[in-house]
Amino acid sequence: MTGAPDRGGEAAFNRSAARQLGLFGLAILVGLAALMWGLNLLASLTATAGGAPPAVDAANNAITVMLTEEPPQLDSTRSTDQVSGIVLGHVMEGLLRYDDRGELAPGMAEQWRIDEGGATFQLRADARWSDGQPVTAHDFVFAWRLGLDPENASEYAFILYPIKNAEAINRGELAVTELGARAIDERTLAVEFERPIAFFDKLTAFSTYLPVREDFYRATEGRYGADADQLLYNGPFALSSWVHGQSLRLDRNPHYWDQARIRLDRINVGYITSDPNTRLNLFKDEKIVMANLAAENLTNALEQRWHIQRHMDGSIFYLDFNHREERLTRNLNLRKAMILAQDPGELVYKVTKTPGYLPGESLFPRFLEGERGKFRDEHPAPTYQLDVQAARAHLEAARRELGLEAFPPLVLLAGDNPVSNIQTEYFQAVFKKNLGLDIKIDRQIFKQRLAKMTAGDFDLVLAGWGPDYNDPLTFGDLYASWNLNNRGRYASPEYDRQVRIAQGAMDAPTRMAAFAEMQRIIHEDVVIIPNYERGVAYVTHPRVKGIVRRVVGADTDYTYAWIE
Amino acid sequence: MAETAFTADDFQPAAATESAQTVSRPSLSYWQDAWIRLKANRRALFSLYLVIGLSLFTLIGPLIWTVDPSLQDLEQISQPPGANRDAVVVMPHRPWDGTVRLPEIRGLELAEPATTQSVRLAWAPLPNAAGYRLYRNLFPAGEGQALGLPLFETASLNERHFEDRLDLKPRTYHYSVAALDTQGRMTGAVHRLELAVARVVTAQEAQAMGLVAEAGQLKPGDRIKLRAHPLGTDYLGRDLLARLMAGARVSLFIGIAAPLLFIAFGVIYGAAAGFLGGWADQALMRFSDFVVALPFLLFMILLRVASGVQPGESGITPMVLAMVLLSWPAAARLVRGQILQIREEGYISASRLLGGGAPYLVLRHMIPNTLGVILVTMTFAVPTAIFTEAFLSFIGMGVAPPTPSWGSMCNEGIKTMLTTPHELIFPALFISVTVLAFNLLGDGLRDALDARMRSAE
Repeated sequence: MTGAPDRGGEAAFNRSAARQLGLFGLAILVGLAALMWGLNLLASLTATAGGAPPAVDAANNAITVMLTEEPPQLDSTRSTDQVSGIVLGHVMEGLLRYDDRGELAPGMAEQWRIDEGGATFQLRADARWSDGQPVTAHDFVFAWRLGLDPENASEYAFILYPIKNAEAINRGELAVTELGARAIDERTLAVEFERPIAFFDKLTAFSTYLPVREDFYRATEGRYGADADQLLYNGPFALSSWVHGQSLRLDRNPHYWDQARIRLDRINVGYITSDPNTRLNLFKDEKIVMANLAAENLTNALEQRWHIQRHMDGSIFYLDFNHREERLTRNLNLRKAMILAQDPGELVYKVTKTPGYLPGESLFPRFLEGERGKFRDEHPAPTYQLDVQAARAHLEAARRELGLEAFPPLVLLAGDNPVSNIQTEYFQAVFKKNLGLDIKIDRQIFKQRLAKMTAGDFDLVLAGWGPDYNDPLTFGDLYASWNLNNRGRYASPEYDRQVRIAQGAMDAPTRMAAFAEMQRIIHEDVVIIPNYERGVAYVTHPRVKGIVRRVVGADTDYTYAWIE
Repeated sequence: MAETAFTADDFQPAAATESAQTVSRPSLSYWQDAWIRLKANRRALFSLYLVIGLSLFTLIGPLIWTVDPSLQDLEQISQPPGANRDAVVVMPHRPWDGTVRLPEIRGLELAEPATTQSVRLAWAPLPNAAGYRLYRNLFPAGEGQALGLPLFETASLNERHFEDRLDLKPRTYHYSVAALDTQGRMTGAVHRLELAVARVVTAQEAQAMGLVAEAGQLKPGDRIKLRAHPLGTDYLGRDLLARLMAGARVSLFIGIAAPLLFIAFGVIYGAAAGFLGGWADQALMRFSDFVVALPFLLFMILLRVASGVQPGESGITPMVLAMVLLSWPAAARLVRGQILQIREEGYISASRLLGGGAPYLVLRHMIPNTLGVILVTMTFAVPTAIFTEAFLSFIGMGVAPPTPSWGSMCNEGIKTMLTTPHELIFPALFISVTVLAFNLLGDGLRDALDARMRSAE
C-alpha cells in the first residue's frame, strides 16, 4: 500500500498515473491488434498451403462437401446408416439406380423383366469395376448370398427376403447356395421370388443389393470396406483416400460406363461434423458447397441473403411405445391418454421451428404414391385432436386397469442431439402438465440407443424411420410382429395379416387398401404417437448446380453436379 | 553521595492494582484483526457482498420469484428481456379450407388478420406459372432467388392459398410468392406482401399459463398481458430468472459442499502426515501423489456408472463424490507443509515440555495456525468446483433435465448464441461473477489472515 501523499502531489501523481495507464492501454491494444493480424495472416498462409481445399476448386473441377458422421464401414452387405448410404451411392451402382429426378433408371442392368415368379436382369457389356474387370451376374449372386449369410449378421438381410429361400438361409436352415438367384451367364441374372412381389425393381437400387466381387472380397480377409483400398468400385466415383475421422476423397471412376453424366472430377469430403453452427460457418467461409440449416441458424441465413431451399426427406419421426408384457405402456388407455395430451402442430410450429416439418399424422408419409395420386390423399389419415379432459379420463381408466396408486416415472429414450433434446424436454413438460406423468429422459448416443431399443430397455422412445425403397411397405412392415425393427414388439394378428396381403398382392388397389387398413390399426391401437415428417432447409453454393436431394436413395447426390 | 535509608515499608509487597499494565488500544483477537484488515480491502469486501448477494439470490430468491423453472411458456419462446407482452385473446385454431372473403385478390393478400396463431394468405395467378412457391423473410427480400424461407410449394395452379403457422412472432414479415415453371425453377414473376403480425393467445392457453383462473372469463378481443419474464425466456419459453435461481442451487451446493468435504479430509490427512513424520509421512504422501495422478473425467464417468445413476436422474452425488475423492491431495499437501514447519517452532517445544500431548498439540497449536491457509484454499476451491460442475453439465454429465444448472444452461444457450444471445449471456455471467467473487474474496482473506503472505498492493 502507498502512504497518503500531500494534496498537490496527489493531483500531479494522478495525472501522470492516468497518462501512463492510458499509454500502457494503448500499447496493449496496438500489440493485440498486431498479434491478431499476424495470427490471421499465419492461418491464411497455412490454409492455402496444406489445409482443406475451398468449396469450389474450378481449376481441378472439384468441390468440397461435408458429412455429419464418418461411415462405420463401406461393406454394402452390412451397411445400415444413412451416411454410408450417401458414400455408397457415389461409388457403387446397383442393377437399377435413381436418376436426378428421383426416378428409377437403368444402372448395371441394361434391360430387365419382372413377373410374378421372378425376374431376369441383362447386365450391360461395358459395366466395369474400378480395376477394369467386367461386373458380372456372379458378383450380384455373391453379394446377396453374403448379405443373407447368418455369419455375416447383416441387419438389413430382411430386405433380401423376397428372393426365394432367402429367409430360410438367413435363419441358418438352408445353405447359401440354395438362394433363388443364379447367374445364367456372365451377363444374365435370374431371380426366383419367394412369393409374388410388386416392387422388386425398386429394391434393387438399395445398398444391400449392390454387387461384391468374390475374389476381391476374399483377398481383403475380412477387411472389405474398411479402407479406401479395401473396396472395389463400380459407381461414377471411386474412393481414392480415406483418412479415418477426418476426410474422404472421391475421384472420377474412369471405368464407369456412363462417363457422359459425370461432370465433376473430384469430390472432397473435407469435414466430418454434426454441429449445425460449424456447418453454417464452413458454408459462410466457402469451405463446403452445401449445408443443412438448423432452426437457430435460419435468421442468420436470411441476413446473409442466401437462397434457401427446402427438401422433404421422407423420414417420419414418432414416439414409439414399448408394447412388451411387463411395460405399463402396453396399456391401451395409457397410450390413448398420452396421444390425446399432445399436439404435433405445437411441436412442429413452436418447438422445432424448421420450415418443411409437417405435423405427424400417420405412419405413412405424404410422398408415398397410391393408386393414382398420393396415398395420403386417397386415404386421409385419421387423427386425434388435443383433448386434455379425455386424456385424463383415459389415464384414470389406465390407472384402475393397472391397479396402480400412482404412475411411476416413464423412461423416454432418445438420441443425444440438439433436435431430440429439445423435443424430449418439451414432451416431458407436456405430459407433466396435461397428465401429471413424470418422464425420465434417457439420452444415449445412436449406437447405444439402438442397443437399448433392441433390448426393450425403455417405455417410450423418440424414433424415426426413413424409406429404404419407394413403396408404402417400407413403412408398413415396420410393425409386423416379425420385423426386428419393431423395437416396441407390437404384435397384432390383424396387422400381420394386412402386411402379408401387401407383400403378396400384385395389384395396387388391394395393396393400398391393406396399407389404409394398417394406417387405421396404428391409429386405433395407438401404436405410435406421430410427431412430424421431416423437412430440411438447406443452402447451396451459387456456382455449383445439379446437387440432387432425394427421398429414396442417397440424399445428397453430387454425381450430377457441375461447377458453373 | 546521599545516604539511602531503607525502611521496613520499602520491603512491603506492592499492592495489586488493575492498571499495572494498561494496554492503550483495545485488545484484538486474531479474527478481529483479520476482519479489520479485510474491511480495509475494498475489492475483497465488494466480493464478500457479492457472495452474500448470491446466497440470498439462491435461498431467498425462489421465495420471492415463485415461478416454476420448468414451466414452458410456448407463446414467448426465446424472448429477450423486456419484450412487449401484450396479447389479444382469440378463438382456438381451426383448420382453414382456403376460402377467402375478399371481393377480389390482387397480388398476394391476407385472407384474415395476421396473428401469431396463423397467417392466412391468398394470391392472384401469376403469368406463365406452372406452380408456386411461397417464401417468408424477416428482411425486405432483394432481387434474385434469395426470397427467404421456403414455406410451401405446389404444382397445382388452383391451390393459391397457404396458412403459415411456423414460429410466428409479433413483428413484421415479408412474404413473397414466386411462379415456378414446369421444371420447378423460378420464372422471375413474384407477388410480394409486407405485413405485421399481432400477438394472440387463446383463452385456454391463458388459463394453462395461469393468467386467468377460468378460460370463460375471457372473450375474443380482450387484451391481456402475458407472463412477465424479467430476464427473458429460453428455447422452450421457460423463465430464465427462475432457472438461474434453481440452477444456482445446484451450482452453489456443489461449489460449497464439495470443497468443504474434501478440504476437511485433506486437513486431517495432511495434519496426520505432517505430525507423524517419518515413514508414515512418506507412505501417506506417496498415496496422495497417486491420487493426484488419477484422471478426473475418467474417474467421474466410472463413478457415475458404478454408483448406478439411472438414466434421466441427476448425477450430483457421484459428481460431489468424485470431486471429494480426487481433490483432497492439494489441501493435504499444503497442511502437511505447514505442520512440518510449525512442528519445529519454539512454542511447540515449550508446550511439549509443559506436558502437551499429541492431540492437544495438533488441535490447540498446529491446526489454528494453519487455519488461514485452509480458509484461503477453501475460497479458491469453491470457484474451481463451480467451474467443474458447469463443465460437466456442459458436456451432459451433470444434472438431468428439467433440472437446470448454470453449466447446462450455457450448453443450451450456446446453440442460439447468434440469434438470442441472452440465453447464453445470463448463465455465463452468473458463473463468471461467482467465480470472480470467490477468487477475490479468497485473495482478500489471504491478505487478511496471513500477514506473511500479503500480496503487495
